[in-house]
Amino acid sequence: MLTPTLPETKPIKLSVRDMAFSYGPKKILDGLSLDIHAERVTAIIGPSGCGKSTFLKCFNRIHEVAADVNVGGDIQIDGVDIYRGGIDVVDLRRRVGMVFQKPNPFPKSIYENVAFGPRLFGVKDRATLDGIVEDALRKAALWDEVKDRLKESASGMSGGQQQRLCIARALAVNPEVLLMDEPCSALDPIATSKIEDLIGELKESLTIVIVTHNMQQAARVSDYTAFFWLGKLVEMDLTERIFTTPRVQMTEDYITGRFG
Amino acid sequence: MPQAPEVSIAAASEGGYPVLEDGLSPAGAGAPAFKHSRLQRLADRWAHLGFLVCSLLVVGLIGGILYFLATRGLAAFLPMAGNTGRTLSFSEVFLSTDWAPSSDRFGILPFIAGSLGVTGLALLIAAPAGVLTGVFIAKMAPAWMRNLMRQVMDLLVGIPSVVYGIFGLTVVLPLVSRTWLADAPASGFAVSALILAVMIVPTIVSLSTDAFESLPAALDEGAQALGSSRWQAIWRVLIPAARPRLLTAMVLGLGRAIGEAMAVQMVIGNNPQWVALMRESTDRAPFLRALFTPAATLTTELVQELPNTAAGSTWNNVLFAMGLLLYLLTMVLILATRRLGRGKEA
Repeated sequence: MLTPTLPETKPIKLSVRDMAFSYGPKKILDGLSLDIHAERVTAIIGPSGCGKSTFLKCFNRIHEVAADVNVGGDIQIDGVDIYRGGIDVVDLRRRVGMVFQKPNPFPKSIYENVAFGPRLFGVKDRATLDGIVEDALRKAALWDEVKDRLKESASGMSGGQQQRLCIARALAVNPEVLLMDEPCSALDPIATSKIEDLIGELKESLTIVIVTHNMQQAARVSDYTAFFWLGKLVEMDLTERIFTTPRVQMTEDYITGRFG
Repeated sequence: MPQAPEVSIAAASEGGYPVLEDGLSPAGAGAPAFKHSRLQRLADRWAHLGFLVCSLLVVGLIGGILYFLATRGLAAFLPMAGNTGRTLSFSEVFLSTDWAPSSDRFGILPFIAGSLGVTGLALLIAAPAGVLTGVFIAKMAPAWMRNLMRQVMDLLVGIPSVVYGIFGLTVVLPLVSRTWLADAPASGFAVSALILAVMIVPTIVSLSTDAFESLPAALDEGAQALGSSRWQAIWRVLIPAARPRLLTAMVLGLGRAIGEAMAVQMVIGNNPQWVALMRESTDRAPFLRALFTPAATLTTELVQELPNTAAGSTWNNVLFAMGLLLYLLTMVLILATRRLGRGKEA
């Protein structure tokens, strides 16, 4: 395993040890070990089908929605195993939010989308909810655009706004980690740059893991980059090193576009 | 370059490509000119005419039925040619519960109430059962069970209603009459609604399964990623998202229920005087009593009495008015379905 070599001041938030993942008889991930530091952005890159998204989904166990999966090894959040450490999956998902590839707002109003999470956890008081919604929308840099139409359906927003709404929705339950699965793949360049700016702001208080197909995006937004290939971790390092002086030839070939 | 095309056309003909009658290829010089034969074009024209005639026939048939029903149905209220019976007022037909055709009293309110009551009750049973089964098939059942259930539902939709009627008559009625709820025959709204519900559940299940399956998986995942339990995701996100299509499913079920005659007639007891019977009853629990009082609906009454009346008589005219009412009710339901189906989905 090749690990980052710079001294890191932030503690380890997520730690993965010898993790394997199979879907039915098919092995998707194998022998993965890496650490993700708090308040850093970690990008996962690699060719399609290398298991990046699957890897991401292991952190909030959302893959359990589809049946017949098997996860081996250890994944820990703050040192507690999320599969066997007695963690309640609902609580885990509150702590580990997720933003999906395509914006998936619920067919409800903008307000109700953001209030969805807090309501699940029993927040009923209108004033409290109002506060949470405004705060989350501000954090997602969306408040000024939507404050006058909170009651309108979320489906009337642009793709970029919808994706920021989904980020706000995830932030509304005050997560510690934010998983982003190719959050800009369905967005135009302007919407993409807004999301990227947002990632820079959010990492002040959050641990972010982002899967991306876009090498420039990984270089722009992340502190660490992990390169996956065929279900294995090839190399993980500080992003600037991955993109300037990778230690593995395959990494260099991939980021320079020679394969993948 | 006037010369060039001629050369190319010659080359094309030599190469065996079909050439237009006037010797020109539409796609430019040298391109093969494909073309339908004269016979093919003639066949097309006749086929076009055939389709047109068929569709006009269908439209004409529906229009004809409406015209027939309307003239015969309205004959009860308007003096019309061939009308041997008395001309009635709307209120003595639609607002009266007194149905005694031999005594010249034609209140059809009991049948309207009967139809609405029995379909409403049936929907009350079938809608939740159907939608929840749809959720189960689409979102929870393992693949093998999903396939099995879908096929079973499709089979159930196709079972003739008389079969459901026989089941009600020979199995459910005797079973119910043995309980404390009903003394003697037990026929009435409860058993009719139950049989109707069983009949329309497959329709509602099929359509709600489609509705849930057509929702993007991202909605379900999104809800659960925020910490929803399975049930919360279904209740708070999936059902609201599928609402327009679920409503359509229910209206279609309702349409089938309200038009059903055979199965209901076999178990409802066919008592046109049920409202009067209810009034005389001194029961402490009138609602429960009503559930097990032999009653009648628009459809059952038509089936029972239409063959026994003379054309043009008042009695016969009123029965046609009931038929017209059913037709209009069904039309409204179909229009409502269209409306709901078009309703913005999200």
